[in-house]
Amino acid sequence: MMEKPLQPRSTGRLMILGFLSPTLIILLFMVAYPIFSLVYYSFFNFSALRPAEGMKWAGLSNYGYLLSDSALWDRFVFTGKFVFLCVSAQMIIGIFVGYQLQKAFRGRDVLFTALMLPMMLSPVVAGFLWRYMLNSEWGVVNFILTLFGGDKVDWLGRADAALWAAAMVDTWMWTPFIVLLATAAFRGIPDTIYEAAEVDGASPAYVFFRLTLPMSAPVLFIALILRLIDSFKQYDLFVALTGGGPGSATETVSFAVAKTAFRFFYTGEASALAVILLCIIMGLAMILVRHLSSMGGRN
Amino acid sequence: MTAPRATKAVLTRWVMFGLLVLYTIYNLGPILWLMISSLKSRADLFAMPPTLVFTPDFSGYQSVFGVGAARDSASSIGVFDSLMTSVLVSSVGTTLAVGFGTLAGYVCSRFEFRGKGDFMFFVLSTRMLPPVAVLVFYHMMFAKLGLADTRLGLILIAVFVNVGLATWIMKGFFDGVPKEVEQIAMINGYSRLYAFRRLVLPMVRGGIAATAGFCFIFSWNEFAFASILTTTEAKTLPVKITSAAGATGIEWTQICAAGVVLILPVLVFFYLIRKHLLMGMTFGVLGRS
Repeated sequence: MMEKPLQPRSTGRLMILGFLSPTLIILLFMVAYPIFSLVYYSFFNFSALRPAEGMKWAGLSNYGYLLSDSALWDRFVFTGKFVFLCVSAQMIIGIFVGYQLQKAFRGRDVLFTALMLPMMLSPVVAGFLWRYMLNSEWGVVNFILTLFGGDKVDWLGRADAALWAAAMVDTWMWTPFIVLLATAAFRGIPDTIYEAAEVDGASPAYVFFRLTLPMSAPVLFIALILRLIDSFKQYDLFVALTGGGPGSATETVSFAVAKTAFRFFYTGEASALAVILLCIIMGLAMILVRHLSSMGGRN
Repeated sequence: MTAPRATKAVLTRWVMFGLLVLYTIYNLGPILWLMISSLKSRADLFAMPPTLVFTPDFSGYQSVFGVGAARDSASSIGVFDSLMTSVLVSSVGTTLAVGFGTLAGYVCSRFEFRGKGDFMFFVLSTRMLPPVAVLVFYHMMFAKLGLADTRLGLILIAVFVNVGLATWIMKGFFDGVPKEVEQIAMINGYSRLYAFRRLVLPMVRGGIAATAGFCFIFSWNEFAFASILTTTEAKTLPVKITSAAGATGIEWTQICAAGVVLILPVLVFFYLIRKHLLMGMTFGVLGRS
């Protein structure tokens, strides 16, 4: 690893510039420029639908309005509940399944690959598929519930049930991600540690909670942060599954940004909300980047 | 070992096994259910209790591919066009993203230059970006540039969404090729560009294929950008089925069939990338080969 890197000579410089510029130009144009504009727009009162009315300087009033808007707080509370429910379910189930798949059995690798499928699917297909299965009258989920003597649940028609339904669908889709990372983390633990624990007569529970989990914590932490980010910004799934309903009970923060910007066309206000969303995501991303560089430093 | 402890261990193993089976049903059941449902007629779709034995009905597929009797029904207008849009946007977008990402990934793997770390993290940050946030601006920008509701605009989006991923993954693959390959070629009087094109690129062919597989799946599934930036002309299939579920109620036969059509290419590409899942799903942060 410590060999001297190839030095940029004159042809090297040209190559760096030539090879890097397409990617750099696209990302500057599609990420940096929009974000700066967004911050700029968030200080103005205007609508993209009526550009003729011009942009009126609004100072911090967009932010002030948003922070005092109780409907917006509801979006944050809903998003928080959703994130908490689905990420904790995904972590627990994912770590459990990943641990079970450590044992060798026939067909394990095929099963592992098959289990990865849901996360590769389109969130829109996932949303509609579950909306179909969760239908209160003829959905297969309620059919299975009644088979076991339960009552039919109006999954998508009641605010509290819709939260659980959305968390169930996100968990269906993204638990495989945790299984994938947990499996990788568990495989990284040297066998000698397990052998030593066996010699000491440690119970399986002790081995799992005191050895396996702590030793795979760095990778599991990456999984956790990535899932927090992705579920916090979740949008597609709700469009297909609940459409934000019933009423506006299942609107996430992302959903609120889209609604403010593209249904009501309060562009200034939507920009301010987008900036707030970006700050939260960037905060989480910073934690991830710090963690990654500390991992890189250790190895 | 005492008998009760042994029984307990056996019991635990069976409980664990049962839970794993339950999870497998939860995980794979819905996908099977979609495949079965896509072949059902409307009456069978809404049957309670759900039917497992039924005469297959292809009207959903007919409406997606614009053939047969269902072609002329109001709900299938434009569905096949949107499928073609999806195919075009995903393949062109993937090709460009992989091309650009390969170039950038090579430079990041082989050279040290000022701001490299910042560049890599800037590229990584596109993975975190909430689409709706930048969409507030894109919506205006695309209208101004005449890109709104065009396939060209969507191709630009597909490239932007995937080029960062392609850069990181390809860097990982290039890191796996020894630097001596170019050094020896250059000692022998070949240019670095020649060494890159003729020696290094063929060595990462598998990596390029895997990267393309990921990029295709992600642009194929992309919804947030396409749903906001297209209105009539350039809808992709995921957007089309969402808008088909509008005021007149949901055309479930069509949606189930479209769902299967959306899943099939994913299955094919998923098979190609199965060895590289860890790298692709974590943006090359983990599992570099």
